[in-house]
Amino acid sequence: MKIDEKVLCFFESSNTHVDKEGYLYKKGEIKTSYQKRWFILKGNLLFYKEKPSDRDLLGVIVLEGCTVQLCESDEHFAFSLVWSEPGLRTYKFAAEDQESLESWIKILLSANHQYLALLLTDMEREYREALGGATSDTTKTNPFIMPYFPISEAGNASNTSNLHPSSSQTNFLPSVQGAGPLSGPGLSAGQMLQPSAAISTKPIPKKSPKIRPKKATNAVITQPSAMFFGDWAGMAADSQDDFKKMHEEFGKEVKKLISRWAKRRPDGQQDLIDFDC
Amino acid sequence: MRFNEKELISLSRQPSEMASELTMRGPKKGDVFKKRLVKLVVNFLFYFRTDEEEPIGALLLEQCRVEREDSLTFTIIFLDEAERKYQFECDTEEQCGEWTDSIIKASYEFMRKNLIFYRTEIHKLTGKDPLEQYGISDETRFQVSNGLQLKARETSSL
Repeated sequence: MKIDEKVLCFFESSNTHVDKEGYLYKKGEIKTSYQKRWFILKGNLLFYKEKPSDRDLLGVIVLEGCTVQLCESDEHFAFSLVWSEPGLRTYKFAAEDQESLESWIKILLSANHQYLALLLTDMEREYREALGGATSDTTKTNPFIMPYFPISEAGNASNTSNLHPSSSQTNFLPSVQGAGPLSGPGLSAGQMLQPSAAISTKPIPKKSPKIRPKKATNAVITQPSAMFFGDWAGMAADSQDDFKKMHEEFGKEVKKLISRWAKRRPDGQQDLIDFDC
Repeated sequence: MRFNEKELISLSRQPSEMASELTMRGPKKGDVFKKRLVKLVVNFLFYFRTDEEEPIGALLLEQCRVEREDSLTFTIIFLDEAERKYQFECDTEEQCGEWTDSIIKASYEFMRKNLIFYRTEIHKLTGKDPLEQYGISDETRFQVSNGLQLKARETSSL
């Protein structure tokens, strides 16, 4: 299977947030020695190169479908990424110290797409609840604010995601006056929210976007921008429990890994990172 | 560049809400439209020959924008210097809309920015940081200042 390397390299070199970077020792697949490499974590992608100043990437590990485990190794501060399906591999690493080990394990556990997706669903639900609470007085202006659609991801004019923020990319879209997000006539594809530099200076459309409840998985989505809420909303009922559960599992997993590691060390070093979850 | 191919192939077998037969054209000069089974899993787009189990290729959906060419066609444009373009033709307008929407929302970066948005707004509305309950308030990836310079706006409208 091919992968578009240019796209990967561009993403790594782009000015997107680096979730974590640092040196780790990576055990070779063929050569069983550990080699020191500079790792860069962005989202669910773990890139690596020889050293930070290198332009060329040596490789990338897509962090989907794996677990993070401490590994039995002569190497201190060792952990691995394990894909449990038959035929799939295990990547073995060693960190430079306890602090680095704990930090990498913690962040790698939550680097997968699903973690973020569930968290986002949860936040969306909380946001709607917060809006619901704030709109008890319907005569007051209660702006419904569309989610942030950065220009680099928005589509172009005709039909889809046609909410263009102003060029500075630092502003939220103007508020829409209405009774709140759950009622009111729909926002038709032709009626676009006008981008504005400051929320108070542009005229406010009278209609508020309609939230469509999530339908069956092969449902038709005709208004992508308004659908943003609708899509997540269907998951909202279960999402809070799902995310809380997942997050608790992560917390337990991290504590388990650390206590297991601590038991192996006779000198009983103190944790440099305090996990209180 | 090395990558965990087998594990990525395994990922491509995950169930997905977005999997369709579309005609697709690659970014290279001379690439023509071909019928492919296109499948969206997390922030990757996999494409298969229609009767094959292993994908021909995988496309990371980050740092790209999606443009609608016409009612049936959309293009994924990667934001590097050369502007790499992948074009897709759908059967219906609805399907085209579904795809463009799904691809945009699948991006990890998109999700992260929206999360920061919600965090900020919830905090403004309730005075509470919604990430505190999970103990992840300090994670740099969720910080409000990252890549988003929020103007000090008047909150009188809220």
